[in-house]
Amino acid sequence: MQPDKAITTHASRQLPGDLAMWLFIGAELTAFALLFMVYASSRALHPEVFAQGQSQLNSQIGLLNTMALLSSSYFVVNAVASVKAARRHWAIGHLLVAIGFGLAYVVLKSIEYYQSFSAGYGLTTNVFYQYYFLLTGFHYLHVILGLILLTWVTPKVAANDYTVGNTSGLESVASYWHMVDVLWLVLFPLVYLLH
Amino acid sequence: MSETFTKTMARNIFYGGSLFFILVFLGLIFHTTRVLPERDHRENITPQVVLGKKLWEDNNCIGCHTLMGEGAYFAPELANVYQRLGESKDAIISFIKYRPAEGVPGRRSMPQFNLSDEELDALAEFLKWTSEINDGDWPPNIQG
Amino acid sequence: MKFSSQAVAKPYFIAAIGLFTLQIVFGLTLGLQYVLGDFLFPEIPFNVARMVHTNLLIIWVLFGFMGASYYLVPEESDVELYSPKLALWLFWIFLSASVLTVIGYLAVPYATLAEITGNDILPTMGREFLEQPTLTKIGIVVVVLGFLFNLGMTILKGRKTVITMVLMIGLVGLAVMFLFSFYNPENLVLDKIFWWWVVHLWVEGVWELILGAIMAFVLIKITGIDREVIEKWLYMIIAMALITGILGTGHHYFWIGTPDYWQVLGSIFSALEPIPFFMMTLFAFSMINKRRRDHPNKVAALWAMGTGVMAFLGAGVWGFMHTLAPVNYYTHGTQITAAHGHMAFYGAYAMIVMTMISYAMPNMRGRVANSAKAQSWEVWGFWLMTISMVLITLFLTAAGVLQVWLQRYTDMPQSFMVVQDQLAIFYWLRFAAGVGFLAGVGTYIASFFIKGEAVGLANAAR
Repeated sequence: MQPDKAITTHASRQLPGDLAMWLFIGAELTAFALLFMVYASSRALHPEVFAQGQSQLNSQIGLLNTMALLSSSYFVVNAVASVKAARRHWAIGHLLVAIGFGLAYVVLKSIEYYQSFSAGYGLTTNVFYQYYFLLTGFHYLHVILGLILLTWVTPKVAANDYTVGNTSGLESVASYWHMVDVLWLVLFPLVYLLH
Repeated sequence: MSETFTKTMARNIFYGGSLFFILVFLGLIFHTTRVLPERDHRENITPQVVLGKKLWEDNNCIGCHTLMGEGAYFAPELANVYQRLGESKDAIISFIKYRPAEGVPGRRSMPQFNLSDEELDALAEFLKWTSEINDGDWPPNIQG
Repeated sequence: MKFSSQAVAKPYFIAAIGLFTLQIVFGLTLGLQYVLGDFLFPEIPFNVARMVHTNLLIIWVLFGFMGASYYLVPEESDVELYSPKLALWLFWIFLSASVLTVIGYLAVPYATLAEITGNDILPTMGREFLEQPTLTKIGIVVVVLGFLFNLGMTILKGRKTVITMVLMIGLVGLAVMFLFSFYNPENLVLDKIFWWWVVHLWVEGVWELILGAIMAFVLIKITGIDREVIEKWLYMIIAMALITGILGTGHHYFWIGTPDYWQVLGSIFSALEPIPFFMMTLFAFSMINKRRRDHPNKVAALWAMGTGVMAFLGAGVWGFMHTLAPVNYYTHGTQITAAHGHMAFYGAYAMIVMTMISYAMPNMRGRVANSAKAQSWEVWGFWLMTISMVLITLFLTAAGVLQVWLQRYTDMPQSFMVVQDQLAIFYWLRFAAGVGFLAGVGTYIASFFIKGEAVGLANAAR
């Protein structure tokens, strides 16, 4: 394949993974950044509604979820490093643990949603819940997408599709997963902690 | 290791990203249709309102007017015309009824559609129902 | 031209240009009615002229897309078109249906047309851009299905390239979304929600795929750049188009009775919608800058770059200007919307069709490129039309800003018609720019008849 000169020279600062993935990540980060900004400005406009809504949130589950995603990201880092060190079995194990932590997040978050729905809260309850469900729901769907991607690359690692020096596909997925993690690290304090 | 920008990854992002957003969109549309009855007051859609919408379409009113801001920009907004004319169906009816067939010299004028009294009433009912939809307080003021 | 069957594109392009000219004539009529309210009243009231204007636009762009596809697919697939005969039949069916529909619009009152075409049986008429009689809509579906069948069979027996795949996804999407024009619920809010599935998901969704595919094809041809490079750009552009454009539909769900969260989602995702158009501009310019050969058809490259820039300005910048909900609250349904609509449609879809015509037409007339003289006429046509469109957009924007101010924003809002009278100066200027646009169309058409030494196959050396 003919490498595209302009594109390769522009990206000479060595991004891990595929530039196409980074364009996607860039778009996603922009969308989330805008969501965070709209959330913050709406909060400034309706401080009581937000304070009241935030006090109802379960920040214990939120904290557990933060740890789950951080651990998951850590194991993904190890998995990529293992593939680069040609330790395939080690990499598969790390990926499986990472997926496990991701699933834990999904389960915990689902429990939390179930509690909110049972208490009668929904997207159209009030301005706080509108933003709460938009932000966390959109992020939740990204966790699921990330998990699908991790599940997709694991058998590829097992099939030896990624070799030393040819890990771009895996690194792209890993980068996406780290993005999901980083977004939560902004979202969690913003929505749960910042009173 | 050098950077890469591969066609495979670009393709996967196209298919995967599009599918993801299509699903999100469909989910939201589903949710919207579920909560819509609170906002559109569909319990007030009488046979007259239905006939009124049909007349609205059959006479291509949207070709000059906007309705909730959508349509042509040649004639006034009609989603709040009921309020603008003093919450009076009669005012709407007589406006439509007495349009001069040959227009007004030098001015924009609504055509004479020769509607029956029953049809005029249905059209007014449709506009009244439309004015009661919860549309986020739009338009900003009574002038539309 | 590699295959003789590609020539079926020619009548499609000629029809497209003919209907385009007619569209502009009706546009001028509308422009005049804005200032001389009784012009042609009651023979051709504004709503009729507008319906002709917008429907002709849709139809000629569809003719353009079809012509482009008939030209592009055999060449990409490296086989003759499955059935040139079917393509010609469909051409005549589509053209007669279009002409009959326009005659119907002009000859009888719309309500009569609705009645005689059976709108009582399946009411689909009288909604903006979807004013066509239900019978015409069914005709469009039949023609598009035949067209897709013809292309599909061609692709199946030939080479499958990224360009044909993307084009097909776009065209199938076009057909599928159009089916929602048959859904007309009694509830106005639901009607509006799904009406946008046709309108928005066409122009800010699947049509962008068609646009991208045609652009990629022309760029490969005129720059000689490696297909691999073009294709990954294409994928990224259309990925961004759908990622931003699908949820971007939300910017139409602000004030039609839909829940408030659409104001958030619609604002955010449509704020990102300029990205694919910006990438398209970068794409066209960087490919042409890094071209591997100097194609003698210079004006086709100009159209390609023009499409990128104007689509970015019209769809991207002018779209962004009024897409955020707090801004749109005041600008919704004013001349600002009209300004955006004009430049976006011209920049994205009118210009991509003309890009393709500019590249393909000389080939179909047995030459690689037109004579220098003919090309310079076409360049004049390009600039006259484009500059006129920029002026139309600027005057409408000025009218829109003033309208928003007087009618919506001040403490003493004035009524619609009182405000309209105060905008007259801008409407006159817009009309003048419209005359300029028509002159551009005339120059463009004239370029097809200018003789001079065309660049043949023999002297087309690098």
